[in-house]
Amino acid sequence: MRINCPHCGQRSNDEFSYLGDASIVRPDPAAPNANEAFYAFGYERANIAGPMQELWYHAAGCHAWLVVTRDTRNHEILDVKSAQEVALERQKAAGTAQ
Amino acid sequence: MSELANHTNTAHASDLIERNDVTVTNIAARRGARASLDERARATFGVSLPSTPKAVEAGGALIVWAGPDQWLIIQKDEAGRDHYSELAKTFNGLASLVDVTESRTIFRISQARPSPVLSRSMGIDFHEDAFKPGDVAITHVSHLGVIVWRLPDGTAYDFACARTYSRDFGDWLRKAKA
Repeated sequence: MRINCPHCGQRSNDEFSYLGDASIVRPDPAAPNANEAFYAFGYERANIAGPMQELWYHAAGCHAWLVVTRDTRNHEILDVKSAQEVALERQKAAGTAQ
Repeated sequence: MSELANHTNTAHASDLIERNDVTVTNIAARRGARASLDERARATFGVSLPSTPKAVEAGGALIVWAGPDQWLIIQKDEAGRDHYSELAKTFNGLASLVDVTESRTIFRISQARPSPVLSRSMGIDFHEDAFKPGDVAITHVSHLGVIVWRLPDGTAYDFACARTYSRDFGDWLRKAKA
């Protein structure tokens, strides 16, 4: 499997380490349902069969965190973005929603 | 004779040297300071800090991309000059600087093209059309982290690794460069 790092280009997956689901967002600790939300944040994970957003770290390369969209059925990689870019987009989207 | 032996002392043979005459400074842009850091770099070196894996030579320094918003600045030692302190003053407030001269070993293979062994030994594409003069790659060789760049004038390949592993990596390069 090769991952197209937005900084380095195509690299073998032995340069990367895997963290897990990239769609999980830390809940608001002040929310009334914070207890349940943090339980889900810490423990509940979907076992997705299909395209999934995942966090990968380019450990042996540029040391950037990436959000990789990978089809878990055949390892096809559909999209790679820098995690920083994704986080900024999320912040922006959250800001507009408020 | 094996293919490896055939290449020894032939047209591919070249010198492998350890560069002991340079100061190496790692600089990392502070959050939100990328643009002003670049302005300062242009005023000092006359060039922008590369935002893609490139190495540029300017103002007596080689500036090597070392990851997003990070660079290695490599300067030849000169009597009476403290390159690190000068850079720390220049980029004060805009970047974090660390003198990594003693923690990195830089090897140089002076050849215009990589040997067949070298091109097959690393996980990056060393082909002439893929890894051009001035290109940089951060990768690993048998679990050792290495930054490799081709000099902007195309005359040599440099390899920077942690000094702890330099003996091991040096041995590896001696075999691979042949």
